[in-house]
Formats: sequence, C-alpha cells, structure tokens
Amino acid sequence: MAARQDLLKGNIDTLLLSLVNQQPMYGYQIMRELDGRSQGYFKFKEGTLYPALHRLEKAGLLQGDWQTIASGRQRRYYSITEKGRRILVQQTEQWQDFFAAMNLIFRPRRPETQVSK
Amino acid sequence: MIGKLNSYLSDIKQNLRLDPASEQEIISELETHAEDRLMEMQEAGLSEEEATAECLGLLGSAKLVARQIYEAHSQGTWRQALLAALPHFFFALLCALKWWNIGWLPVGLGVAIGIAVYGWCHGKPTWLFPWLGYSLLPVVITGLLLLYLPSGWAWVTILLYVPLVLLLLCYIAIRVINSDWLYSALMLLPIPSLVGWFVAAKMEDNFGGFSLKQFNEFAPWIGLSFLVLAITVAIFIRIRQRRLRFVILSVSSVLSLVIVVSAGTLGFPATLALFLLTFAFLLVPAFLDHWMRQGSHPATT
Repeated sequence: MAARQDLLKGNIDTLLLSLVNQQPMYGYQIMRELDGRSQGYFKFKEGTLYPALHRLEKAGLLQGDWQTIASGRQRRYYSITEKGRRILVQQTEQWQDFFAAMNLIFRPRRPETQVSK
Repeated sequence: MIGKLNSYLSDIKQNLRLDPASEQEIISELETHAEDRLMEMQEAGLSEEEATAECLGLLGSAKLVARQIYEAHSQGTWRQALLAALPHFFFALLCALKWWNIGWLPVGLGVAIGIAVYGWCHGKPTWLFPWLGYSLLPVVITGLLLLYLPSGWAWVTILLYVPLVLLLLCYIAIRVINSDWLYSALMLLPIPSLVGWFVAAKMEDNFGGFSLKQFNEFAPWIGLSFLVLAITVAIFIRIRQRRLRFVILSVSSVLSLVIVVSAGTLGFPATLALFLLTFAFLLVPAFLDHWMRQGSHPATT
C-alpha cells in the first residue's frame, strides 16, 4: 500500500493533467473519475487533491474558473493550458517509454537456441 | 454535524495564512467538495452524522491540507524575490560606497516610504514587508538621534518619543501579523542590526558626540550585514515551507549580529542585549499571532 502511495505521489501531476485534458473538471469530479477509472486503485486523502491542483495552477499548467451550475451553486472548474498540454505530452511519452522498457524486462527471455534458428 | 464541517473548514482557514481573498476561494472550493461528498453519502443511506464523520476522514487532517495549500501558494517569483531584496541591496550599496555622505539616505528612505504606501494600499503583497520595515526607519533613527541631545533631553525622548514609536510599531506589526507573523518578522529584520551599528558607533566614540565618522569606519561591515539580509529575503520569498522560512530568518539575524559584534566594539552586555532583541523581534510576532488567534477562535484548536 505504501509503495502504491509513493507511485501515486510521484505521478499525481500527470494523472491530473491527463484527466483535465479530456474535459474541464471540478475537484470532486476529478476525485470520482480517478477512483472510478482506476477501479479504486488510486486512493488518497481528498483534501490533498487541492494542493496539487493549486500547485499546477500556480505553475501555469492548469487554469481554474468559477462557474455557476443549474442549482445556483458555484464550482471551480479546472482546464488545461497550452503549457500544461506540452508538459503532459512529454510526461506521457516518458511513461510510455518506461512502461515499454519494464515490459521488455518482465517478458520471459526466449531460449538462445531458438533465437539462433 | 454541519458544525463539525464548519469547524474543520475554520481550522483550515486559520492555518492557511494567505491573503483573505485567496483564503475565501479555497474554503469555498473545499466546502463545495464536502457538500458533494455528504450528499452522495446520504443518498447511499448514511445518516448525517455518519456521512460527516466519513467525509472529514476522507478529507484528511485540516492542518496538513492547510500546510500543503500554503506551500502551493507561498512561493514567490524571482521578480518578487528581487523586488523584496531591493531595499536591503540599496542599503548595502549605500553603506559600502558611503553614499550617505552625498545625501542618498533621505532619497532611499523616501522611495521606501512611497513603495511601502503603494504596496500597503494594493493588497499587501509579500515583497512589501522589507520596504515597510525601511519606511519605519526614519522614525527609529529619529529616536536614536534624539538620545544624543544634551543631558536631560534624552530622558524626554525615553519617556515620550520611545513609547509613541513603540505604539506605532506595535500597531503596524499587529496589522501585519494578521496576515502572517512571518511577514512581521521579515519587516523587523533589519532593526536589530541597525540598533547594533548605532550602539557600536557610539561605543567607538567613547560616549561622546555623534557623527557619521564612526559609521564610515564600519561602512564595509554594515554593507555586508545588509547584503546578508538581502540574500535572506530573496531566499525567503522563493522557499515554500514555513519552518524553513523561520529557520532562514533566524540564521540570517544571528549572522548579521555576528558581523556587528565582529566589528569589535561591543562588550558582552551589549552583545547579549542585541541577541535578546533579535530573538524578541523574531518570536514576539509568533506569540502575538498565537494569542490573537486563540482570542478570535476560542472553540477551535
């Protein structure tokens, strides 16, 4: 569980950018999407989502805007910026390379005799 | 049960120490999140009490959330760091190049007052506080100079002027502490060094009259102590963690005093008094902040 938390902590920026890249979302919606799409794999204290969102906003990767919904309540929707999109592309490529390399290691090695044939 | 949620949000607000507008936005955002979560849990069949307890558990420690949000917001840009360090750089140059002899001191203090008034009226940004400290210097310097009046008049200064100055300093310090006590410590940062240099210059002159001659002898050292303060302020603006900010202020204060003491004219009692004054300027804002917050929120911890 601790290892999973460390993995999440190290990749929370990529996860948030990736989700918000698909459509502008508010905090609670992001939390639900993260939980639902990962089938409960990514669990963390909900209050710590906002520091991460605000950090990305301060860095210019996300932009937060208040919107009034039908019930009259206000929600802060986050959308990705151009800078955020560029960073996301870089991070996604890094992840894919890492994932591919890990798969190559995990895959059982074929016997050398078969390779020589 | 809503009271528990309000208490939780109030606890976060108390520990945020950001500007009021940002604090309000953050609290509104967290409140909306908690309301969404409560609604969902109650629809799933939980009682209001159970839903609130579960919701607060999922949100996590109020202090941790507040600290992490503070760290997300607190880091200033390099431009802000430079702007905040500028008055200390200017005074370092003023001393190192002995510009006070050609009248740059009143110009510098005038600019400091102007910038401090502008910053005070425009949302009290972080870069304001070093400027604010310098804008108070004419008041402090006047008090120190009044001590050099002929005997008898010095007592008038001590009995009338000093309490008035202390009152003014306390008023401004309390207004600043309401934003963040660390800013108050940042604002008061150069005062112990300045007092130290005045005392050192007076001792050098064997308690005789007062002239800029003594300051000219110490000029490079005074410049160095202000340079230390300038670097400190730039680092302070760039780092996020509150504890580190306090550590950097403490280290810098001690370093500045070591520079004053190494000039060699202060005796042990004066050195001890200066160190006590330094730590009073660092810690009193923290105690006042604690006391004021306890007074305004007796129910929360």
